[in-house]
Amino acid sequence: FLSLNSNLDPLTETYGIPFYLQYLAHWPEYFIVAEAPGGELMGYIMGKAEGSVAREEWHGHVTALSVAPEFRRLGLAAKLMEMLEEISERKGGFFVDLFVRVSNQVAVNMYKQLGYSVYRTVIEYYSASNGEPDEDAYDMRKALSRDTEKKSIIPLPHPVRPEDIE
Amino acid sequence: MAIQQADKLLKKHKDLHCAKVLKAIGMQRTGKQDEAFNLAQEVATLEPTDDNSLQALTILYREMHRPELVTKLYEAAVRKVPLSEEYHSHLFMAYARVGDYKKMQQAGMALYKIVPKNPYYFWSVMSLVMQAISAQDEKLAQTMFLPLAERMVEKMVKEEKIEAEAEVQLYFMILERLGKCVEALNMVRGPLGEKLTSELQSRENKCMMMYQRLQLWPECNALSYKLLLKNPDDWQFYLSYFDSLFHLMDMSWSPSEEGQHCVEGHVTTTVAEAVKFVVDRMAEEDKKDSRPLRGPYMACLELIHRLRQRGCPDDKELGDPLELMVQFFGKFGDKPCCITDLKIYLHLLPPEQHTQFRNRLEELVPLGEAGEDGFRFPGDTKALQRHLCVCQLSRALGLQHALDTEGKLSLIAQLKAHYHHGLRFRKSCLKTELQFSDMYCLMAAHVYIDLWTENGDENMLWQCLGLLEEGLSFSPSNAQFKLLLLLLFCRLGAFQPVVDLYSSLDAKHVQHDTIGYLLTRYAGSLGQFAAASQSCNFSLRFFHSNQKDTSEYIIQAYKYGAFEKIPEFIAFRTRLNQSLHFAQVRTERMLLDLYTEADITLSLEESVKAMGVCAEEEDIPWDNMRDNRDLTVLVSWDPKDRELTEEHRRLSLEEESVWLKVRSLTLRLLASLALLGHAPSPRNSDKTNENGVTTKSSTLQNLLSQLDQTLQTAARITEKQTKYPFLGPPSSRLASALSSGSCHCQASALRLSLTLQELETAGLDDSSELQSQICNTFKSIVVQLQEMLSRCKGEVLEMKDRRLKTQPSLLETLVFFLETVCVVLWVASYSANVLRPLKSSLQKKKKKKKDTCTPVVLCGFQEWTSGLQGVVTQALDHVKAQEAQLTTLKLAALTLEEGDQQTQECGFTRVAMDKVQSSYLGSLQELGDLLRKRADSLKSLKI
Repeated sequence: FLSLNSNLDPLTETYGIPFYLQYLAHWPEYFIVAEAPGGELMGYIMGKAEGSVAREEWHGHVTALSVAPEFRRLGLAAKLMEMLEEISERKGGFFVDLFVRVSNQVAVNMYKQLGYSVYRTVIEYYSASNGEPDEDAYDMRKALSRDTEKKSIIPLPHPVRPEDIE
Repeated sequence: MAIQQADKLLKKHKDLHCAKVLKAIGMQRTGKQDEAFNLAQEVATLEPTDDNSLQALTILYREMHRPELVTKLYEAAVRKVPLSEEYHSHLFMAYARVGDYKKMQQAGMALYKIVPKNPYYFWSVMSLVMQAISAQDEKLAQTMFLPLAERMVEKMVKEEKIEAEAEVQLYFMILERLGKCVEALNMVRGPLGEKLTSELQSRENKCMMMYQRLQLWPECNALSYKLLLKNPDDWQFYLSYFDSLFHLMDMSWSPSEEGQHCVEGHVTTTVAEAVKFVVDRMAEEDKKDSRPLRGPYMACLELIHRLRQRGCPDDKELGDPLELMVQFFGKFGDKPCCITDLKIYLHLLPPEQHTQFRNRLEELVPLGEAGEDGFRFPGDTKALQRHLCVCQLSRALGLQHALDTEGKLSLIAQLKAHYHHGLRFRKSCLKTELQFSDMYCLMAAHVYIDLWTENGDENMLWQCLGLLEEGLSFSPSNAQFKLLLLLLFCRLGAFQPVVDLYSSLDAKHVQHDTIGYLLTRYAGSLGQFAAASQSCNFSLRFFHSNQKDTSEYIIQAYKYGAFEKIPEFIAFRTRLNQSLHFAQVRTERMLLDLYTEADITLSLEESVKAMGVCAEEEDIPWDNMRDNRDLTVLVSWDPKDRELTEEHRRLSLEEESVWLKVRSLTLRLLASLALLGHAPSPRNSDKTNENGVTTKSSTLQNLLSQLDQTLQTAARITEKQTKYPFLGPPSSRLASALSSGSCHCQASALRLSLTLQELETAGLDDSSELQSQICNTFKSIVVQLQEMLSRCKGEVLEMKDRRLKTQPSLLETLVFFLETVCVVLWVASYSANVLRPLKSSLQKKKKKKKDTCTPVVLCGFQEWTSGLQGVVTQALDHVKAQEAQLTTLKLAALTLEEGDQQTQECGFTRVAMDKVQSSYLGSLQELGDLLRKRADSLKSLKI
């Protein structure tokens, strides 16, 4: 399960080991790894369940989704997302959400194709290094079956600041 | 600031515990370790029970790496407040942090008795499982810990108190470890199994695991079949489907007459059925409008492979592998993974079909009309990917390797043309985005390397470097370009450019362990000591933080009931702690510090003390060493017979371990030498001191004989002259260390310290034999150093016939020479310490007796130091001459390639050459500086 692999892809964030361990300790079911027949790591998804049930905010969250460059264009990301949605369904979540860089048009489009829509914009969510400006994020959501009226995905009219999100 | 605030508070309330601890934290963070510790202990002995003090002390102890003190703290707290759920739970966590499973088991139970919550009970159960896992004695685990854990869970099951999924998972873990697979299976299938809902296919996966353990092949087969119908892309179930089928055939299993085959449903018992199943799955995919899945098509090739393995002729039923692979290429040829997928099945093609196969694939690549240069290019990225895949496959089939030099050169031209043509497809100019055609560039580089290694034509290497530099200029984030450049520069002995390349890879965390070897193998050996030390630090920082971090997440796993993860976390931590690379950087870092600092800024003894090196003990897990190196991090499309094998891995680990042993013994020998220097002379000491010295010398003796043994093993290993694939692991420094003569010279110098000790005991009067023995060693060491130096002679970089020629091995030998000089000088300094008192007592006697004859060893020592002085001076002259030669070398005078078109490429090649030249210069300067410092310390060696 815990594999030592070299993720040197510049587009993918590599998190610290504590970060992965934290997710594995808390939401082990939300950590899914895909392996190729030759043993290569094709991709992984990592997420969590959070939010208040009473306020109908209990949901699945996609923390990281990554597919190795040579295994792109195979629909693997969609498959992994589908699995995460399935787990969130089972947990009785109202929706699944994720954050994505506003500039990452490829990802935004992919998530739209998978049924996600922009719920709100979070200003300067991604803090930049080396002097470049901070970047905004889209908070994208997809309603699950429990949210029959799809209330959770009605877009907010105004952007929010990172400190205002839970 | 925090300290002042705490002081203010303390003035008002003299005994406010918490303020004291906060002050202690402040002190700890400002580097006042001892004061902080004392202040904390002052509070701790009072056994505080207020939450603030306890938490603050916990933080402090954690920062001081003294987690065992936290347990003491809460032990006292629960004694005073026996009913506190919170303190009991902190106590449990404190035990978890130090891994005291037995105490954890008790603490968990104590908690459950105060507050009967299920998690507490199962914390206790899990702690039993951990005792079983960590037990040295497997029998104890099987007969005591696990059965007890099982009974504890059974009790809850009977009382119908099982609540959470985590509890069921833990129950399963226990049964599985006990080998009670039938019970585990029944449990998963039964009502308890219904709780297993969080993970996808959790029940199915667990059942499958048990079927395989129990060799219940009908069930295993039927379940695989069922799951494959649901998801025909889940590769693991094809494997279990085929495995179980062949097992069933081998045991001629047949279903009973009536009804179902088994609980899981339909069982496949014949090859014909399996063939039909796979063919049907492919047909399903063919029908689909959406994109097809690769699974069924690969399963078809896998089944052919397995049938052939069994010598079963039915593989014909599935079709001709060549046709199937052409078909696969037709469907997936435009995906980058096509090569990875097909590569594993290329062996299904007989060699005589290889060219035909390539030609068939080429027909499926849409290319434009041939241009002036005769090349036909793809019109879009999909066509490019297809064309690239054909190139990759023909390399994997060995077709590229079979070409002669001319063929390879024209292949390079073709690949380069495709590379440059493909650059037009880039959509954005984002730095992080790679070029679609990057892989052509990399492949051309591989062919250059083929030419270089086959013909020894260094020009190919320079062009390769130039090409990669060019590639990097268009794709600044391409990790493969960087890795290959890094490897080539290392092989060339040019470490300077490597540092930047490595840091631009932005290696993080565990990657320091998996790819750090690329760097550290060459760092020290090329004379760039500052950079070497820095690269060791990258890795060390990661390893140290890992040890601390993991414990916290083990605790979290208990909190959230992720019991299955706890053994995994611990195994992961162990794997990193036992890493070969970790042991290497630890050792090399200390040796580096000694070579560059000891007896220059600090004495050897002080340096050794500051590092905490212990001569008697060592912390390297020789028997459990883990090789975490990612030896295939560099992309390779080489055919199977040129790939890295398991045997290569084994030999590389063996070689690295022996080299590490040599280094670690050297380090410990130096540590014990430092201690010897400090030992009071036995003449004026009592018996206990003498004993002290004997222990020290026996340690020395023992280490020396270990070193001898290791060097013998080393000689045997280097005789094999193992050659690894170029893109695989680099050879260790072992062979060059032996051939440079440094190991033996260092060993004889270190051995000398033993003889000197004897002399110290014997005195000068009746020890002429000993003295002449010592003098002979003195002489022989000078001769050995002289020989080593002569092996360093030659030009590191020179121009011959307007071509550039390198000899990086000279640099490596020079480093070994320098390291040996350091060791010899430390021994010389010890010799001086031994001889000095002997000489002065002799002088006292002389005054009385008027004896004119000076003992041999004293004259010998004088000769020795002047001999050493001579060698070091020669070495310095050599380094200076090399520096001068390098500086005058005008690379601009080189003609690289005829014609104007290549000027841009030549530019990149020149850049690479300049980097190498300046790196060599840097190494020589650093080596020269250190030699000069050593020469100075030699001057002060007088008796």
